[in-house]
Amino acid sequence: MERLGTLEVKNLNKKYRSQNDDLLVLDDINLTVQPGEFISIIGSSGCGKTTFLRLVVGLEKGYEGEILLDGQRLNGPSLKRGVVFQDHRLLPWLSIEKNVGMGLKNPKSGESRKTIQEHLELVGLKGFEKHYPHQLSGGMSQRAAIARALVNRPEILLLDEPLGALDALTRMYMHQELERIWMKEDITMIMITHDVDEAIVLSDKIVVMSSRPGTIKKIIPVPLARPRDRAGYDFANIKEEVLAEFQLHTDHPFTYSI
Amino acid sequence: MSIAAKITIFIREKYHGFISFLVLFLIWSGVCHYKLISPDFLPTPATVGTAFVKVVSSGILGKSLGGSLIRIAEGFMIGTTLGFLLGAVMGVSRTLERLFAPLINALRQVPIIGWIPLIIIWCGIAETSKVTFIAIGAFFPILINTFEGIRSVSHSYVEVAQVFEYSRVKLLRKIVIPGALPSIVSGIRLSMGTSWLLVVWAEINTRSAYGIGDLLSSSREEHNPGLIIVCILVIGFVAFLINELFGHLEARLNTWKKSYR
Repeated sequence: MERLGTLEVKNLNKKYRSQNDDLLVLDDINLTVQPGEFISIIGSSGCGKTTFLRLVVGLEKGYEGEILLDGQRLNGPSLKRGVVFQDHRLLPWLSIEKNVGMGLKNPKSGESRKTIQEHLELVGLKGFEKHYPHQLSGGMSQRAAIARALVNRPEILLLDEPLGALDALTRMYMHQELERIWMKEDITMIMITHDVDEAIVLSDKIVVMSSRPGTIKKIIPVPLARPRDRAGYDFANIKEEVLAEFQLHTDHPFTYSI
Repeated sequence: MSIAAKITIFIREKYHGFISFLVLFLIWSGVCHYKLISPDFLPTPATVGTAFVKVVSSGILGKSLGGSLIRIAEGFMIGTTLGFLLGAVMGVSRTLERLFAPLINALRQVPIIGWIPLIIIWCGIAETSKVTFIAIGAFFPILINTFEGIRSVSHSYVEVAQVFEYSRVKLLRKIVIPGALPSIVSGIRLSMGTSWLLVVWAEINTRSAYGIGDLLSSSREEHNPGLIIVCILVIGFVAFLINELFGHLEARLNTWKKSYR
């Protein structure tokens, strides 16, 4: 059986209509994501990366070009595509287990209960079934949101700056967790981020976007063994390469060219 | 937990509230004891106690209270049901909001007393007019709160529901109504408070067979200040109970909401 979770984006344009003229947000985006790949999209704010993700989710409508999931043109949101938003968006009046079960057709059935339990274990929230979102820390809430997005077994998981609101240490810990979940679930993941380290730690490929209009500037592969060493030489080289795209590379004061 | 323990906790929690009652009672007793005010104006606690026992044992208080509560139940049910429904459809549909909002906003500026002449012309001064009066009073708070509650539900949650392919009905049932519920319950509490106020007002002004307002009115006519005080205390006590009941319900529904205190 062919593996599911191939995303193809061909000649994608997105315009926002304003009174006088159209504002081009995304300009000729072409991208292919293989099943099981982890892709990061990185770019400064306003480069249209969130718009791109929302188009793939189906929450944003009206575009030119094609977005295909396993060869099928997207038409509105679907359970095949899970989403984790930057703010966890857990329903505050539901317990964690009910939040995680939100997407299930029949959350009270024995099978659903088992699935919910499995996913709570997957994200390390066993024992917090009856808790409410306001009783959880930011990191735990985001874990619950990840469990909720995965519970329907989507083919592809889209993450919109999922760790952006977390503190630096929690974020590094969540990188490990996210990598573990990605490997265990064997699922395609596309993550929006503005954190270069995060992108290198997690991704197979980094898509660098530039602003106004949003275009893909460069796709940088990350052929490093996992788990990745943030302090390693190759890591630093790739970081340099990514930062160079933002005119942020540092001149090394102790290297001389003859 | 035993009932006695519950009562102890209740009294301890409301301790400060009871002190104010006690102080007022002591001042009242003192004023009467030293005859600072004529008992024709301010009856003694003993007089009030006697009047209370008399009106309870004769069954008049029970009948009066019952009459008022039935009136409230009718008016409140009609008013809140209609208010909730209109508030809900206005909350859900922008078109219906645009259609109804100006009318509603104009009508709710009319003081409730301002409706009386029209109500009397349409419904006379018997039961129907009182129930109508209460229904109008209960209508607006629940309508506004339901509308605002629905509109306060974040669009973020709607997007989550879209991603999970919720139908429109499921969206309303699982996201919109639960999200608006605390506000709706506040509206019910406000409507209930208004209803209680209006039933007393209506009974004092357009008499009926039995009602707490009627009892108040007749005790004035009979110049029975003890009974007047009994009525005032009963009205206050019932209002207090209603408020406590809905307050508890609200607090229970609001556990997920973090307030600043």
